[in-house]
Order: sequence, then C-alpha cells, then structure tokens
Amino acid sequence: MMIDFLTLLQAAAEAGRSYGDFPAVGGRGAVWIAAEVHLMFAAFVLGVPMFAVITELIGIVGKDERYDKLSKEFTRLLVFAYSATALWGGMLLFLLTTLYPAFWGHMADIFSMSMWIYAGLFFVESFTLYLYYYGWDRWKSGRAKWGHWGLGLLLNVWGTIVMFIANGWLTYMMSPPEGTTVAEGLPDGVTMWNAIANATWMPINIHRLIANAVFGGSIVAAYAAYRFLAAKTPEEKAHYDWMGYVGTFIAIATFVVLPFAGYWLGREMYEYSQQMGVTMMGGFMSWLWIVQAILIGVLFLAANYYLWTGMGRIPGAERFLPYTKWMLLVLIVCWIVWGTPNTMIASRDEFAAMGGSRHPFLGVLGLMSGKNTAVNFMILTTFLSFLMYRRGNRIPTVTWAKAGTLTQGAMFVLSSAYVLWLGIYGYFVPTITRISYSVYQVAAVLACIIGVWAIDIFLMRGSQSRGEIRWGEMPDRSQYAIFVLAVTFTWLMGLMGFARSGIRQHWHVWEVMRDTSDRAVTPALGYAANMISLTVVIFLGLVAFIFWLGGLAERAVSKKPAPIGQPQAVTGG
Amino acid sequence: MKHLKHPFTQAVLLIVGSWAFFKFVIPLFPGSAPVPQSVVLQFTLIAAVGVLVYVSENEERWTQFKAPITATLVDANKKWLRGGLLTVIPLFIGFVVFQAARPTVGSTAQLRSIHPAPPGQITFQGRSLALEGLENPLRSRGSLEEHYETGKAIYYQNCMPCHGDLLDGQGHFGHGFNPTPLAFDRAGTIDNLQESFVFWRIAKGGPGLPREGTPWNSAMPVWEDFLTEDEIWAVTMFLYEQSGLEPRTWGEEGEEHD
Amino acid sequence: MFLTNIKVLAVGLAVIAFYTIIAQVIPQLESEVPEALDLSAGVTPEVLVTAGEDLFMGGAGCTSCHGLGTRAPNLRTDHAGEGTIGERCGSREQGCKEYLYESMIDPGAYLIEGFPPIMPDARRQLSNEQIWAVVAYLESLGGEVTVTADDIGASASAPSAPASSGAAPARTATTDPVQLLTENACIGCHQLEGAGAPVGPAFDGMGSRISADRIRTGIIDPEAEIAEGYEAFAGMMPATFGDQLSAAQLEIIVQFLAARQ
Repeated sequence: MMIDFLTLLQAAAEAGRSYGDFPAVGGRGAVWIAAEVHLMFAAFVLGVPMFAVITELIGIVGKDERYDKLSKEFTRLLVFAYSATALWGGMLLFLLTTLYPAFWGHMADIFSMSMWIYAGLFFVESFTLYLYYYGWDRWKSGRAKWGHWGLGLLLNVWGTIVMFIANGWLTYMMSPPEGTTVAEGLPDGVTMWNAIANATWMPINIHRLIANAVFGGSIVAAYAAYRFLAAKTPEEKAHYDWMGYVGTFIAIATFVVLPFAGYWLGREMYEYSQQMGVTMMGGFMSWLWIVQAILIGVLFLAANYYLWTGMGRIPGAERFLPYTKWMLLVLIVCWIVWGTPNTMIASRDEFAAMGGSRHPFLGVLGLMSGKNTAVNFMILTTFLSFLMYRRGNRIPTVTWAKAGTLTQGAMFVLSSAYVLWLGIYGYFVPTITRISYSVYQVAAVLACIIGVWAIDIFLMRGSQSRGEIRWGEMPDRSQYAIFVLAVTFTWLMGLMGFARSGIRQHWHVWEVMRDTSDRAVTPALGYAANMISLTVVIFLGLVAFIFWLGGLAERAVSKKPAPIGQPQAVTGG
Repeated sequence: MKHLKHPFTQAVLLIVGSWAFFKFVIPLFPGSAPVPQSVVLQFTLIAAVGVLVYVSENEERWTQFKAPITATLVDANKKWLRGGLLTVIPLFIGFVVFQAARPTVGSTAQLRSIHPAPPGQITFQGRSLALEGLENPLRSRGSLEEHYETGKAIYYQNCMPCHGDLLDGQGHFGHGFNPTPLAFDRAGTIDNLQESFVFWRIAKGGPGLPREGTPWNSAMPVWEDFLTEDEIWAVTMFLYEQSGLEPRTWGEEGEEHD
Repeated sequence: MFLTNIKVLAVGLAVIAFYTIIAQVIPQLESEVPEALDLSAGVTPEVLVTAGEDLFMGGAGCTSCHGLGTRAPNLRTDHAGEGTIGERCGSREQGCKEYLYESMIDPGAYLIEGFPPIMPDARRQLSNEQIWAVVAYLESLGGEVTVTADDIGASASAPSAPASSGAAPARTATTDPVQLLTENACIGCHQLEGAGAPVGPAFDGMGSRISADRIRTGIIDPEAEIAEGYEAFAGMMPATFGDQLSAAQLEIIVQFLAARQ
C-alpha cells in the first residue's frame, strides 16, 4: 500500500511540473504553515510524555496520589493533540507532494525506506498511547502499575525515534553529505544512514528534545492557568494553581539548558559551511537575533514575575520581597545589553555622528562576550528567584544551616565573578577562544545551579514550616504571565524555525538542489513575522479547542462530582 | 518626599529618567557618541516593561499604583483632568504619527550589515575562486617577513589615505566619507573573520557588497582591478600582523591557540 | 467567565501583535538570490533559456554583430529565407545544439559565406555553462530546446574545452600587452607586425598617428571618433572592452600602442 502510494507520488513528481501554486498564501506559505503547525503539535506530543512519565514515577515512588492524577491529566491532553499532529503531518505531506513534487521526488529517492519505518512507528506509538491512557485505571497498583509506567516509557522511546528520523530528513536539507547531487542522489559509498546522520543531525536532535520539554511544560501550564481562572471552587483553584506551577517549573528548568544545545548546533553549522554560519549570525538574519533577545527577555521576566507574585501565597516569603527589585534591575540591565544591536538602525546623520555603523560605546555591548555574560546573569537571577520561592516557608533545622547557606552564597558570587571575568576578558582574545568562553560561562552557571541545588536538598531536610503554601491564593495577574510565557515560547519556536530553515536561502537542499521557483527569495523578517503569527494563532486556537473538548468530556464523565484532592504538604516541586 | 514614595510617581520618574539616560547621558561617556533614535526607543521600551513588572509584582504596590489611575478615570471631582487627558493624549499620538509620516529631507533609517555573508565562490579577475575553505596561500609559501613587507608597502600606497596609518579608520581622507572607513585595530573587526573574507572584501570593494551591506553606500574601490591576487593576500596578512589580531579559525586547528 | 475569555484572548493577541510589530518596524531585508546561476546540476530548459537570453542581449555582447544583418547572420530573425536560427539549425547534420556549440567555441569552422571571420571564441568571455545557456536560447528561437545538464557536464570535461576548470572567461591577470591583445581578440581586426586583418586601423605605427588619450577613448568608446578611411566599418568594434579589461590592463595596452612608432 505504502509503496504504491510513494511510487505514485514519485511518478507525479517526474511528470514535469516542478512547482505547484496555492491560493492566498502561495505554495511556500502553505507548506510553511502546515510544517510549522505540525511541528508545534509534534513538539507538544513529544514533550508532554516526558514529564507525564516523570510525574507518574514521582507518584509511584512517593506514593502521592496527587502526582498520578496530574500525570493522567497531562496524558488526556495528549490523546487529543495526537490526532491533530497526524492530521497536520498528512497535510504537510500532501502539500509537499503537490506543491514541490520535484523536491519531494529527490527526498523520496534517498529516504523512502526511512519514511516507511517512520509511518510504521507512528502506528506503534499511537497504540502505545491509547494503551497508556485507557489502561490508567485498570493497571492501578502493584506490579501492573509498574507495567503501566513502562508503557509510558515506551511511548517516549517511540516518540524519540520518530522525531530523530524526521530530523534526519530536515538536517539533510541543511547539511547533505559531501558529493550529493540531484541527479544521482547520494555519492557512491554513502548510504541512507549517512544522509540521516549528517553533520547537524545530533545537535538538532538534542536541541529539539530539550525544547519539546520546555514547550510541553509551558502549554500545560497555560492550560492550568486557564482552568485556574475558570475554576469555581477553592479546591479546583488550588489544584490548577499547583499544576500551573509544575508546568512552569518544568518549562523554565529545562529552558536553562537549551542555550548549550544551541551553541553546539550553531558551531556545527559554522563548521559545515562558513557561509551558512555568517548568514545566520551576521548576514541578513542578524536582526533576527535581536528579536530573539527581546522574546527571551520576556520569557525570563515573565518567569521571574510568576515566582515573585507567587511568593505572596507563601507564608514567610515576605522577607525576600525587598530583594526582588534589585533582581529586576539586574534582569533589565542584562536584557538591554543582550538586546543591543551590533548593526544599528540609523539614518545617515546618525551614522556620521557615530562614526560608522557601530556605536563606539554601545557597540562593545553588541558583541558576543557582552551578550553571553548578560544571558548567564539572567539565568542565575532566575535561579535565585526560584531558590527564594522554594525557601519561602521553611526554616532549616540542620546544624550546619548557616555554613550551608554561606557556601551557597559563595557559589553564586564565584560563578558570577567568573562569568563576568570571562565576559570582559573575552574582548581581548581571538574569536575562536571567545566562543569557547561562552561554553565555560554556561558550564560555570550550570555547575553553580547543580551545586547550590544539591546543598539545598540536604539543607532543607527535616526543615520546619512557617506555614502551608496557600495554593490557589494567587493573583490573576500571575496566570496572565503564564499565558505570556506560552505564547512567547510558541512564537519563539516559529522564529527559530524560520532561522533554521531560512539560512538555506535559495536552496532546497544546501548546495545540492536549488529552489528555482519564483519564491526562492528568503523573505524579510516582517513577512516571516506575519507567517509566524499566523501559525501561532492557528496552533493556539486549535489547542484551545482541544482543551475545551477535554473539558466537555470531563464534565460528561463526572456528572457525579469527583472530588479533587486538596494538595497536601508542600514538597516544593 | 511623600510623592516620591508613591509607585505611580516612581514609575513615571523611572521611565523618563531611563529615557534621559540613554538619550543624554550615554553620549557623555568617554569615547561615546550620540545614540541612534531607534536604539533609544528600544532601550526605553525595555525599561518601561521593567517598570511595569516592578509596580505589579507585589499586591500592595500594584493597588497603590492603580489608585491614581482609577481615581482619574472614575472620580466625579476629576472631570476636568479626565477631559484634559482625553484631549491631550489623542493630540499627542496624532502629533507623533504626523511627525513619522511627514516627508523630510533627511535619509530614512537603514540597516547596514557590517559583516555580510560572503558568496560561496567569486569570479576573481575572470577566474572562479571558491571562498569556502580558502586559505591564505602566502602563509605556506616563501618568507612571511617578505610578504609582510610587500603588504605593508601596498597598504601605505593604497589603503592608508582612508584607513589610516594606525589602521584605525582615521586616514586623512577618511573623514570625507559616510560611513567612515572601517578600523582594523580593535577586537570585533577582522578577528571575527577568516582571511578569505577579508580577501573577498578587498577584491570586490563596495560595489561587490551583497544587498544587506548596502553596496551603494561604500567608497571602497574594487581592488581586483588594481592589485594581483598575491598582493591582496599580502596586504591581508599585513592587516592581521600589524593589528595583532588573529584570523578567525575553525575547529581543532583553532583550539590550539587557547 | 466570558470576561476572562476575552481577557485571555486579548493578552495572547497583544503579545503576538507586539512581536509582529517589532519585526515590522525594523528595515526589511530579503536575502538575495545570486544572479550567477549554477547551471550544471538539475537545470531546467526554462532556466537555461532565460539565462541565455540575458547573456545574448547583455553581457556576452552578441547583438553588436548578430541582428544587424551586415556583419553577421541574423539569428533572432530570418536569414536568407531559412527562418530563425532555431528553425534552420535543425538541417545541420551533426544536430542543432552540437552545431551551435561548435560554432561558438570555434567560429571559423562554419563560416557563413559573405561574412568576415570576426567572431571571437566564446570561451574567452563565457563559461562553459554560459555557452550552453546561449545555445539553449538560440534553440528556443523557433526550435525545440534540447540542451540538458548532461551536455554541460560532458563538454566541461572534454579535451577540446580550455584547460582551466569549467568556467573560463576571458580575463586573465596577465600584464603582457601582446598577450592581452591576442586574448581579447584585438588582433582579429587590427594588424600587429604582420598578424591580423585590416578591418580596423593597424596597431603598427599607431603611436605616431594618434595620442595615448585618443587610443584610450577609442578602446572604451569605439564610436566616439572613427578613424579616417574606416567609416565603412563603423560600429564593428565591440564597446565592451572597458568592462572586460581591468584598469591596469587597459593602461598597459594604451601605453603599448602609444609606443608603436
């Protein structure tokens, strides 16, 4: 069946027509929208199982019913989102075959085998999901529960393989093996496996794996935020407040590691092709990174805002309030540094006054050293906010409490000083060394986070409580911050997707297959932003619809009121 | 003093203060220059978002902050103030829009990429030359000292009038150009680039810039018409030697410099 | 609840609008699709024809002779009642595209009766891909385009093509005046020490007749002033040398000719 179908498509491709057209948005626009919306759903359905499995495990090990319930609620969102993913995937396939038949033919030539495996795995994955979700209440306890958890794990394995295969196709478009031609496909001695495992494959895999968790977390948090606002009873409010917190925590915690994967990807791209690298960072896309800086600034600010407003419901957290404004100041200054354009927009007179395109003073901030330092400070500040949040209602009782806190403080100071020193010293070393500094900086920050966290776990063991967290007593403003987070993450994903795809410029497959259509020009940021916004609206609209459906089903099932357990003792997340 | 404690006053002061800082104080720093309007606007916007977070992150402050706004909008005794604001604000917005749309004699703001992406290959004096992976051939041929001397002579004959004898872009003709000639004496200039990039820029000059580099907006001559290939490589080498910067390298080879 | 929905919607849309507006207010920059086409791989006939037409009408300078009917045969219009070039080249025994390619790299081989042998070897100015593009364009004039990517690949490695790799346009970095005059086909029409045809004023003794300035003008803008006795040949010399030569090369030629006493 599948083989017939593909040969048919290939025949269609060879029938001569290289490009098709699509009404209203054009051929490229149609593929753009389908690919991006598909990708967003895919990221969601790959990200959510990751922490559904983790929360289920916490529930099993900690014998905490609450986490199990949460995990099931995650999975319910998944069931609906799954069909949307497949739907948009199918749409993308049809659009590609009808609008880009020649290109599709080339891809099918090389990857046909992996495409069949992909489709097969998709089947297996969906059946695993159905078993996982519908078997939840059946395999509830004992060994069966572990078996159920194993299903969840399996779901992740399938999902990851499926994503890796698809990543192979798309990274092939960016970095095909040397010697590949349109007519003869891969060069002699290169197998399909080499084409999949190309230069940028693994970096993209890791990058997306992390980003999926971030994305899943933020969408789940947005769902919880909405349910919080819509909640009628204090119990419901408390539950969704807590769920929103868990989602946001997952999103922010995994987000902090993302730059690492990003550096790796960028480095591989540079090494694969200098031209691609320069186009990305310094060429016509350089302004994209300023927009990215603004978006990520919003993310950090919204995350911290959520934590700060959340301290209002933690007894004892008032003692940290005086510090938040200084942390805010650090965040804003760092945001400004990061947002400083290297290539400034100015009129001729302004250029003349500056003496060139680069500002003699601010231009210094626009370089990589300054920006990396700023980002790392933002990460550290956010971590500090989180630490305050965690400590809010607790008094450590261990004997070495004071020494422990001092050590933590020293770690913060040391890593900040190291990051700052590298940032300044980075201006005086060759570029290649400077780039390795950015890795040291992130490593220092991560080391600080891990170290402080480890100490904190022991420090808080058997701590006294200053009072329970009053879940549900959250100002509505904080929930809007979660919405801002979710929308920004989604938009950021669209933007980065444009960057990754756009640096291929007028190539379908980099320096192998040229885009000879009249839409080969890579669009300017304004047009791209319109497309991104369109995809974000479509995606979030559909997600809202899916969540609403979920709510309908829930109401239908639980005509008899199912009590939602009031979250008990606080374990911090 | 009591007013200063009020979040609303603080917010207004902070926003205006940060705007003034970006607009008037930054240019006063040693070695600084006026900040372009677009950057001032961007920075002020970020500061304003920060101020908004500040006033709303804590319940008490947020209530205080909202109080004068609500009062102005609702209180019966503030009718005049309300009416005044409702007149002044639209007028102000109208004025801003008018200013933006008004035809002026100045040039429009433009984006000019300093380091645009080089093409994969160029036609150098009628011969195709792949830029990607291209190394400076002089580094592995003959005496470096000699190449440096050749480059030096070429630089002082051809480049010095604009780019300056200190490589600082302050040559005696340099001031006549807008944008001014590039400097090579500091980090963030040629150390970000491979030698093949510098070769490309010298060979093709201003007219050979891609669109994002605004080819109409550079006085750099097309040096392939006047210099041979080896001469351009020699002067490239001179630039790096003289400025003490190292060309951008990639991968393992470069890491040995650490 | 309705109000909450509206608020959530408003916040979401406001955030999206904010980012969209930021991206709109910065100057818009599209990436440029480079003009120089890579015609070697997977090229379609349409692309070849378009590129060939651009070359024929512009950079390659073909129209300075072809199309006037006096210096060279018409190609785009009827010549001697046989139709346009695409129609009439089919009658050639070796095949249309082979004939056209051959006559571009070896113009002397198929000299049409009644025309002087003045056409330069196209490889001096055009790359192999570009020559095939022009062939494709000529075929499209009344005939069917049969040029494919295989032709381009095959001839690039054929021994008859110039030794340099694939693309071998005219300009080299030489500074030898005689070599420059030969490479640029000047000696096709101007005589130098016995070589060349008397289509234009001889190079021998040029320096004694006119000044260096006049020589320079003559090369860059041949129509500016026609040498006495050569009015019949007016317009024959291509006006492309100003672009073709580098400033240094032009000066070398001018000084060399000015020294021919």
